[in-house]
Amino acid sequence: MSVETTTETAPVPKKGMNILFGLTLLGLLLFLWLLLGISTTSFWTSNNISNLLRQGSMTAILAVGQTFVIITAGIDLSVGAVVGFSSVTVAWLLQHGVPLWPAMGITLLVGVAIGAFHAFGIVRMGLPAFIITLATLTSLRGIGLLVTNGSTISISDESFTNFSRADFLGIPSLFWMVIVVAIPAYIFLHLSRWGRYLFAVGSNSEAARLSGVNVNRTIYLAYILSSTCAAFVGLLLASRIGIGNATQAEGWELQAIASSVIGGTSLFGAVGSVHGPLLGAFILATINNGANLLNVNAFVQRIITGVLIIVIVYFDQLRRRGSR
Amino acid sequence: MTGLHDVSHRHEGAATIAKHPVPKGEPILELRGLQKKYGVVEALKPANITFLSGEVHAIVGENGAGKSTLIKLLTGVIRRTSGEVFWCGDAVQLATPNEAISRGINAVHQEVVLCRHLSVAANMFLGDEINKNGLMRKRAMTDAAQAVLNDLGFNLPAAALLSDLTIGQQQLVATARAAMRGTQFLIFDEPTAYLTRQESAQLFRLIRRLQAEGVTIVYISHRMEEVFELADRVSVLRDGTHIGTRKIADTNDAELISMMINRTIEQIYHKETLPIGATIVETRGLSGPGFSDVSLSVRAGEIVGLYGLIGAGRSEFALGLYGRQPLSAGEVFWQGSKVKIRNERDAMDLGIALAPESRRDQGLCLNLPIGLNINLPVFDRLSRGLTINRGREIENADRQINDLKIKTPTRRVLASAMSGGNQQKIVIGKWLSHGAKLFIFDEPTVGVDVGTKAEIYRLFARLLEQGAGIILISSYLPEVYELSDRLHVFRQGKLVASHTYRSASHEEVLTQAIGV
Repeated sequence: MSVETTTETAPVPKKGMNILFGLTLLGLLLFLWLLLGISTTSFWTSNNISNLLRQGSMTAILAVGQTFVIITAGIDLSVGAVVGFSSVTVAWLLQHGVPLWPAMGITLLVGVAIGAFHAFGIVRMGLPAFIITLATLTSLRGIGLLVTNGSTISISDESFTNFSRADFLGIPSLFWMVIVVAIPAYIFLHLSRWGRYLFAVGSNSEAARLSGVNVNRTIYLAYILSSTCAAFVGLLLASRIGIGNATQAEGWELQAIASSVIGGTSLFGAVGSVHGPLLGAFILATINNGANLLNVNAFVQRIITGVLIIVIVYFDQLRRRGSR
Repeated sequence: MTGLHDVSHRHEGAATIAKHPVPKGEPILELRGLQKKYGVVEALKPANITFLSGEVHAIVGENGAGKSTLIKLLTGVIRRTSGEVFWCGDAVQLATPNEAISRGINAVHQEVVLCRHLSVAANMFLGDEINKNGLMRKRAMTDAAQAVLNDLGFNLPAAALLSDLTIGQQQLVATARAAMRGTQFLIFDEPTAYLTRQESAQLFRLIRRLQAEGVTIVYISHRMEEVFELADRVSVLRDGTHIGTRKIADTNDAELISMMINRTIEQIYHKETLPIGATIVETRGLSGPGFSDVSLSVRAGEIVGLYGLIGAGRSEFALGLYGRQPLSAGEVFWQGSKVKIRNERDAMDLGIALAPESRRDQGLCLNLPIGLNINLPVFDRLSRGLTINRGREIENADRQINDLKIKTPTRRVLASAMSGGNQQKIVIGKWLSHGAKLFIFDEPTVGVDVGTKAEIYRLFARLLEQGAGIILISSYLPEVYELSDRLHVFRQGKLVASHTYRSASHEEVLTQAIGV
């Protein structure tokens, strides 16, 4: 039996619903911190908090970029590979005597190019986003391994590697980078017309096209932003570990997608925000961090993460159904 | 002639339902105080309606009157808030779609809800496949389905993919599917909205035949002439209230309409003769995918109607002119000078607006708010620098909602929550806020109630007064016939005949469209 999905009666719109959901996530995060503060002695140490923020920051930036793509009803599986590849790129450039700032600039441009290639595959070649980004995932790791001959390139530039260890106003510099990304991302997604176009394309690309939205350009924009965020995270990672290695950031794409979905993004497109994925990323980071402190087996941690994703997204589904 | 029900009994697993448990003319389904609330909103106020066995019972009402709510209650898609339902004299829950189907209550929906990638036969047997030793017997199903289709006189291949059929043909498949499942009580929700005349005639024959076999039919429609042609009795809903039930012999058009909208329509087809101005657009030998060699022009202050069967090339021509499809030959002149329209933006910048054929697929971002939909074509104008001017965004959306009387508490409601008529208003609102010289309306009143139709027609007059021209595409002949200053007939991608206002008879136009 077929079920019609349209409702005859307009649901009463709840203005604060998004804000409320954000607050729920924030509440969950604070609850986790409280819980870990009580059950462990080492959680509320400045060392551990800094570590937690550094860990979460990179996923958070990836998740924001990923969210742009998911809102257009797409997916970017390549971001983890782009992070690893970018760490190799910047290390290789520095090794070959390119000055620091141009090396970082070129790495970001490589990110732009990768994103543009994804969009090209989707728009011009008609490939599903899942396929083209899966293909670059494996290819980029391969290219990175070829260039480095399977080993790592160490970075000797100390001003580069010191950055990730530095604090500013007592907060790790990596966390400041989240803010540097999040504010323009927020303006872009929620306050500019391009953000509206992302939602429109994700909801119904034909309707968007007939309304004069340049759908192709919008898709280019989404994938370029995602890959550029990933390249940026690659720089941060290279700075943090002091090497370039193509196998780094394995599985980070799933972390990014999970953060985004925990943060309320719908994989069907047209639903998402900037603050949601940020909170999602730090919730995931907290769980991993807490599990470490509680000496939970690393393998079990993965299971916990999986269960948590199901639980949170399930509750989100219930909330959506309830608001109908 | 094989009875329809027999087919379903040829294999195991089909619902076995006692035939005619209720003598003809006795109550088969009784609603007593049936009510549905969504939160505080009463979608259906307590209603007492009795359906008699073997009758065709029409239900009419404007969009939002509660018709869909009633169907969903009867088919178990939603659960009632209060009240009782008696089926063949017994109190029943109708809590799930399965319960409704197992009791023999079925519905054919306005929008076809079948699997497009499966064959006609596979769709007809979906969920009730013929199996042997756990394997599907594809050949047996195809043969059985073909027998039913032939028997119904549908002339459709059972082995064809559903997606290869027109929407109208898909609707017939959906009906055949319901007809062969031992249905005793069949609800049609605006079945003819997307059908051509011929297909409608086929459907009507089927309905009469099901009725003769003892099936009770509930027929929901906006088209009065269909109600009078088919129904024995008619119930009117308005704003969730059951206004009354009449025998069709005891009522008339005017009474039903006044019951439906609580005001009299002096004239639904509101036609004002305005002075015709300069030519806005002219096409010469325009060709593209689905249409060829189309030459026509639109002048300020006139409605140019394009009539034809679905797939005759009218919508394709509109998409071509609008830059959605590449043109293969021909020229377009805009206000006298030759132009090239490469994409939708070019068309919009010239001053062409298109309200496309399918609101669901082409017109609206359904899971986004009304406000965003209305503003979608004009965000560049609402932006200052990098960001959107929030105040102007809100003001523009609210203005269209008020002007068009879109029934919504706020602009933040999702477009999917609105009824067909209101959704159409959102699509129109998009283009009113953008502004244009040439408006193309493709099937603007499909699934739209009488009251909203009249509003849309009055809106046409307003646009014409402001010096715009309109291309009106419709499969509903009375509409294009009564409204168009010039009427062009399309057949198989070509413009085959042109008429001035009322210069040809309905029959003449129809014959040209069908091509017999």
